[in-house]
Amino acid sequence: MVAAKKHVPIVKKKTTAFKRHQSDLFMRVGESWRKPKGIDNAMRRRFSGRAAMPKIGYGSNKKTRHMMPSGHKAFLVNNVRDLDLLLMHNKTYAAEIAHAVSARKRIEIVSRAKQLGVKVTNGKAKITTES
Amino acid sequence: MATSIENLSSDLIWEVTRNQNAFLVKRKQSGGIQLSRDPLNLVNKHSRKYAGYANEKAIGIHADDNTISFVTKVASKTNKPASVHHKTSFAASTPSRKVYRNVVSSTAKKGYRADLRAEAVARASAIKRSQRDVKDTKRVTKLRGAKAKKAAAESS
Amino acid sequence: MSRPTVTIHGADGAAGKESYALPNVFKAPIRSDIVQHVHTGMAKNKRQPYAVSEKAGHQTSAESWGTGRAVARIPRVSGGGTHRAGQAAFGNQCRSGRMFAPTKVWRKWHQKINLNQKRFATASAIAASSSAALLLARGHHVSTVPEVPLVVSSTAFSNGALKKTSAAVALLKAVGAGPDLEKVKDSRKLRAGKGKLRNRRHQQRRGPLVVYEPEKDGKDLVTAFRNIPGVETSPVYALNLLQLAPGGHLGRFIVWTSAAFAALDTIYGSTTEASELKRDYLLPSNILAQPDLTKLINSSEVQSVLRPVKGGAVTKRSHVQKKNPLKNKQVLLRLNPYAAAYSKNGLGHVKAEQKPAKLDGTFSSTLFDN
Repeated sequence: MVAAKKHVPIVKKKTTAFKRHQSDLFMRVGESWRKPKGIDNAMRRRFSGRAAMPKIGYGSNKKTRHMMPSGHKAFLVNNVRDLDLLLMHNKTYAAEIAHAVSARKRIEIVSRAKQLGVKVTNGKAKITTES
Repeated sequence: MATSIENLSSDLIWEVTRNQNAFLVKRKQSGGIQLSRDPLNLVNKHSRKYAGYANEKAIGIHADDNTISFVTKVASKTNKPASVHHKTSFAASTPSRKVYRNVVSSTAKKGYRADLRAEAVARASAIKRSQRDVKDTKRVTKLRGAKAKKAAAESS
Repeated sequence: MSRPTVTIHGADGAAGKESYALPNVFKAPIRSDIVQHVHTGMAKNKRQPYAVSEKAGHQTSAESWGTGRAVARIPRVSGGGTHRAGQAAFGNQCRSGRMFAPTKVWRKWHQKINLNQKRFATASAIAASSSAALLLARGHHVSTVPEVPLVVSSTAFSNGALKKTSAAVALLKAVGAGPDLEKVKDSRKLRAGKGKLRNRRHQQRRGPLVVYEPEKDGKDLVTAFRNIPGVETSPVYALNLLQLAPGGHLGRFIVWTSAAFAALDTIYGSTTEASELKRDYLLPSNILAQPDLTKLINSSEVQSVLRPVKGGAVTKRSHVQKKNPLKNKQVLLRLNPYAAAYSKNGLGHVKAEQKPAKLDGTFSSTLFDN
């Protein structure tokens, strides 16, 4: 497995999720983010003590955006043919096997990835069994 | 162009095909990366410089079982797909440095895509590395928690 | 300038001695934007109208209860004795109400496309089919084809020479279209979604398009080719953009019979001579005479009006560590060539030869003069 290229440290400005206003109070209000639009809404008016709203300042450094802690970016792979694309990019991209790929084909992909020196993020899924 | 048709050029071909073509692989994750399956693309990147199908001259290096096959495009035969490729192949036993030397001397040193010298060598090197036997390196992980206790109990 | 020629291939795929000058259509401008626009219009012209029933959701005598009954003012089904009575009706938000904006059969199903635009797109698509790169980019497996555009001698087709599908497959394989046929065969998949139930059960790629001249080649070849997956046939006089650029993507793999290829000049004419079959039709001409940008930039006309590069052949280095000239001697010498002689002669340590003349006091006396 090839280690990722050297990079500036990854800084996440916020690691918790932005939750929709009042999703903690009602079952019917889901957690996925919706911007509050109400005229009196305290969250929209950014009152103190209210949850934060997403804004551009939370964005990551462009150099480390989409990066996993290992320093790779993920590339979805369905078969060995897709994996071969990463031959020259094994320091920047890691393969991620699509969820519908069977255990038999996963073994092929993982063994080929080993030859190419490509990191597989979910290489153990469906292949190893828990003892 | 070889046939000198006045309406065709590699620039035009690129502009027509850059948004969508059969070789292009688009992914939505990781900021919408675009790769290319083109066999004449040395770094598998979707870009004008590396697009082997669009350029008159292009270099392709790929693994063939255990050997390395090395393809260049004959610029004068752009409209003759069956004879456009000039192919050579290196045996598995050819040393890496000899492969690089041959690749460079038959392309960059002759003024054939000198801009791709580093990429060609890098790809040949990557393929050579991928054809080596992979050492089975098992990482020894330190056991933690219940597993560690169990192991300690077994060893004593 | 001599026009490029195209060799005619025999039925066995070998290059013949004869060759044709490339017809003028192949020099038409390649305009993917026009082709796409015309294609989207033309693709709509085979649609059949559909709509929901005019009566759907309105087959009740519902009437609103008005205000004062603590229910919404939506029309409600009258009567009693059944669950339906008192339920809301008509509105698009109601169960068993009508849909929002019910579809009508008089929707604008078809698109009118200007004739000249259609001809432009066709000519453009034909021209694009002469580029091996565009065929490859469209996904045709043409790396075994001897030449693009591929012209096969009409002797292989005329007088019913090609009647059987097996012979047709053999011919296509001989001219190097075998891999493309294989690709089509392997690509046949069950369609995703409801289309399966609507007579569009399978999806497959498109293979080569065989273009023939109905008078000279006869029509037997149509029956010979029609059962090969992905292969389509078309007479030269009725070329269709939907076949020349499927999906609006340029670069269909076309197998021309030599008679059809020869007929192209009579059908499309040139940019200066009107076509024989399309009245007063002239082929569109290229806006750019030289599409190759490198040639354009390096041409003497462009180079002669450019000023020379400023700053000479010095490449600007970005991201270089800054070196301190006081500590790094090489950097110091680059900035101050005299520094070498200066330090060699030890000029920094030499005592001044003359002592500075002592001030005679006029300066300070003038300064503090008051």
